[in-house]
Amino acid sequence: MVKKLIRQILGVAVLEGKVWQRQPLWIFQGIITVLGLTITLFAWGGGSALRNLVIAFFVTGGWTLGLNIVAQNIGWDKVNFFYEHYVASPITLPIYFTGMVLGAMPIFLVNVIPALIIFLILAMDFSLMPSILMLSVLSAILGAFISLSVILRMKNPANISAITNPLLTLTIMLPPIYYPLSLLPPIWREIVLIVPTVPLMELSRWLVHIPIGYTPILSLTLLLLWLVLATILVLKKLNWGLE
Amino acid sequence: MDHFAITVTDLGKKYDKTWGLKNATFTMGKGELAVLVGPNGAGKTTTMKILATLLKPSKGKAEVLGMDIVKDYKRIRKKMACLPQGFGGNRNLTPMETIRWSLVARGWSLSDAKGQAIKWIETVGLSDCKDRTGWTLSGGQQRKVVVSTVLAANAEVVFLDEPTTGLDVEARHAVWKIIRETVADGSTVLLTTHDMNEAETIADTAVLINDGQTLVKGTPQRLVKMLPYQYRITVKKGEQKSTSLLQINNSIDLGDRVIFYTENYREIKGLMSNFTDLTNVVSVDRVGLEDAYLHLIHEVSQHGKKIN
Repeated sequence: MVKKLIRQILGVAVLEGKVWQRQPLWIFQGIITVLGLTITLFAWGGGSALRNLVIAFFVTGGWTLGLNIVAQNIGWDKVNFFYEHYVASPITLPIYFTGMVLGAMPIFLVNVIPALIIFLILAMDFSLMPSILMLSVLSAILGAFISLSVILRMKNPANISAITNPLLTLTIMLPPIYYPLSLLPPIWREIVLIVPTVPLMELSRWLVHIPIGYTPILSLTLLLLWLVLATILVLKKLNWGLE
Repeated sequence: MDHFAITVTDLGKKYDKTWGLKNATFTMGKGELAVLVGPNGAGKTTTMKILATLLKPSKGKAEVLGMDIVKDYKRIRKKMACLPQGFGGNRNLTPMETIRWSLVARGWSLSDAKGQAIKWIETVGLSDCKDRTGWTLSGGQQRKVVVSTVLAANAEVVFLDEPTTGLDVEARHAVWKIIRETVADGSTVLLTTHDMNEAETIADTAVLINDGQTLVKGTPQRLVKMLPYQYRITVKKGEQKSTSLLQINNSIDLGDRVIFYTENYREIKGLMSNFTDLTNVVSVDRVGLEDAYLHLIHEVSQHGKKIN
């Protein structure tokens, strides 16, 4: 039974993930972005900027995986009728979702592998890695759910990328992800906490002892609220057949 | 009821305020190839989507392999495979990868899936391009890949929604062949099409559907026999005489051409005698499923006739 389950997940992962092998320039683009950011931030901010960047890679890696890749792929599967093909088969929603996430892993690893290397070079506390990875997973789930709650309500599904790409830029480039929250005027610090990537980053910073603006309890509460809201919004629209 | 693969009773589906399917009722035997035929918007795809557990019916009842499609959907899905309308597969994959990994996703072992994929690649004549990605295949080749992906699963019940749309004659025949072979191997196949010729050629049973309702079910031959005519004559209008013949009841006006229906050969001769130039006669054929379908729709719309 477990063997069959693993095979099914593997099957979906290969079907969904072959695109990275056949179109490797997407991976190449990811590597260049990671390298470019690393060099830029190190040049201007030195070691302390890199410490922030390392954990930012974990958060944005998960966020990109969820919001841009997984949700976008699910959206495209709906447009291209792959979704129906999977539903009317022994494949269940958890198998599909897990396979989809695994298939999108190369994009996640593009962020995480350099982050791990920098993490080791900076001799950061490796015992924190499981907690950081958990936050990364939470970031992926939250990203996927928020993106799906928008995508699944779109009247014209052909515009999926036109929604997910700006949403990604808006949530990781503008708010204090690669720069500290304290750089913003006080009133803005509270406003930007609404963007889910900000409490995710604040929690991650807290984990590795980088100064944060607010108590981690606040970040955790906001994330839980987002998770509940996004789950409700997704479950209302994401049916596995019998619609 | 054990010999029925599918039973559909008074099935309906409402989308917001519109009924996409009003009333479908039919049965289908195990190991049979039934074709749902009808024009665009007739309710074929909705019927198939309900049976494939993709849509929940708004009314009525349906069973697949004796299991209720709403209560037992999980068990049904283990025994079915479906080709949704418009499904073109993933062109980033080669035919070999598509079939193999789709089978693995259904729970097949890696080696069994590989063996089955090789078998199907050979069956549909894709050996020469088995390792080329879908981007380099022709439309017909890619269609063979997706249909094979569904049929290779050896599912007990297979749903194919317009599997040959957009294919040329040769590719269509190749797809028909593999579908018929799947039926010969014991699978039950329900297929939709708006191509009457396709239905007439490959169906064991045809279910005519129009305006969200099933009109009649039977073998294509039986449905054709229901027609009060045997022959169809297509002529160019050109002549005054042929235009006046339009007054005949059993005709369809096609602009500069007209189709006449006749009961027997004597009537054909009588009709032909109206033409001074026989080159205006385009064709004389025996009637087929398309004619039966048009006739039945006419009967229902004009006389509100119930047909069984």
